[in-house]
Amino acid sequence: MVLNKDLRVRIARMVSRAGEGHIPSSLSIVDLIEYLYGHVLRYDSANPNWPERDYFILSKGHGCAALYVVLQKYGFISEQDLNDCGTAAGILGGHPDMTSVPGVEASTGSLGHGFPTSLGIALGLRVQRKENRVFALLGDGECHEGTIWESANVGANLRLGNLCAIVDWNGSAAQLMPVDDLPAKWKAFGWETYVVDGHSEDEMQRLFARLKFSAVGIPKAIVARTVKGKGVTFIEGHGKWHHRIPDQDELAAIIGELSE
Amino acid sequence: MKSLREEFADTMLELGQEDDRLVVLVGDISHGILRPYAKACPDRYYNIGICEPTIVNMAAGLNKVGLIPVVHTIAPFITERAYEQIKLDFGYQQLSLNLVSVGGAFDYAQLGCSHHCYTDVSLMCHFHRGVVIYPGSTTEFSKLFRETYANGLINYFRLPGTGHGIEFQPEDIQFGRAIRVREGKDVTIAVVGAQLANALESANRLRLVGVDCEVLYFHTLKPFDEATLRSSVRKTRRLVVVEELSSHDGVYSMCLKACVGLGGLRTAQIAITDFLHGYGTYEELAARVGLSPEGIESAVLEVTASGAATTA
Repeated sequence: MVLNKDLRVRIARMVSRAGEGHIPSSLSIVDLIEYLYGHVLRYDSANPNWPERDYFILSKGHGCAALYVVLQKYGFISEQDLNDCGTAAGILGGHPDMTSVPGVEASTGSLGHGFPTSLGIALGLRVQRKENRVFALLGDGECHEGTIWESANVGANLRLGNLCAIVDWNGSAAQLMPVDDLPAKWKAFGWETYVVDGHSEDEMQRLFARLKFSAVGIPKAIVARTVKGKGVTFIEGHGKWHHRIPDQDELAAIIGELSE
Repeated sequence: MKSLREEFADTMLELGQEDDRLVVLVGDISHGILRPYAKACPDRYYNIGICEPTIVNMAAGLNKVGLIPVVHTIAPFITERAYEQIKLDFGYQQLSLNLVSVGGAFDYAQLGCSHHCYTDVSLMCHFHRGVVIYPGSTTEFSKLFRETYANGLINYFRLPGTGHGIEFQPEDIQFGRAIRVREGKDVTIAVVGAQLANALESANRLRLVGVDCEVLYFHTLKPFDEATLRSSVRKTRRLVVVEELSSHDGVYSMCLKACVGLGGLRTAQIAITDFLHGYGTYEELAARVGLSPEGIESAVLEVTASGAATTA
């Protein structure tokens, strides 16, 4: 079963129109992001800087097309913003810019930056005695970066119980580094670690319902099994589609498959 | 005499109790002298560990929620290792922090080139929102830190291991303004950091042979006081720049930029051209690259000699 077919079509249309974007990486995480905004995060899209909001950091910034369509769905940005993606008139592009996009909490793109920044946010909230929660979405390929493991080490030792890392385990990392037992790695770093199907609303519902957050406690790592390019059979996997822009025939084929 | 690092710790203790937004992150150095601050502000002191890029990233998160981070560790590990973190997390994202380093240039003279840092000032000056302060005395640090730490910019403080030993009055220390330590008419010596002591000693010696040196001391390098430099050089037409920085891009470059359009200049630079291999004392390594009274004297005599080459 494929969730969020409407958002998947929007991603494909937007990337096609913009001539820029990572469709498979976005299809890998769109269900996770939609679930967070639809069921987990506290926010006010009319007031994106609401001080009591939960923070969502898309550390794997190249998957931002998924974030954009979800931000549009929940009222942070407009349909016109999606239409203007990649143009000089717009605010959206191939990586997100927090200085111009409402709801974007970090200007990511260079891998390995967003996650350690989320540690600082979590620590800062605790310093201020606030109860906001922090969620960071990382790529498994991004877990090649040293700062991810510096941060895993620091986050556990600072006992950032208000922080949750979600890893998009779509098999990208294992192409180069097949020793890839991410749940074991996160557990070894001292994180409360879960594995979930990142395309299953039922599994996400059961998992997020049981997570307990606190200012001081064991941080959580959710290793989400996902499929790169999920929902479009000829895009799924790790081939040429990583950074490919569909032509009009290909776009029609994508939309056709998602309309079945 | 109190060191600049000790003044940093004392300033954190005072400011931390005045401003509950201040959060200090260190990379496993200075934890002994920061103990009073840690005791006074236990929720706002973190010895994170040996992971400088992550420390700088974390500072961005702290600032994002309204706190004022101070990151303190050894110069190369902040400014060179974690440069992309500074660039993207604070430059691109328009956030603010205070970086306070020790071990600039070859202050860790006995630890070898792995602990040297010649490029920090140049790197930090590349940020449009950057502020670069190189205090050579405790009074300079405490005054300038207090004036700038909450300015919303990217502030870099390079604390030398050796101060210059000159006691300026607080009113003489103005952010962004050079101090004319000695007036003269024959040559301008532009100097930063501990080298001020050597520059003044050179000027005294040179006076005995009839060369009248004007000594300008710069504690703020960005913004750079081009006006004071230019007015001095307009008078002397000779310039010697003395800096414990890379010869490839440092105060000499700033001075020449300030002098654009002034004809007939004679200039010289005493700086660090390449890795200073080997060990020894700070003074011994400094002397190897001409950062000594003798080296400055020689450079001044070169630019004041008749027939010397001109650069502008």
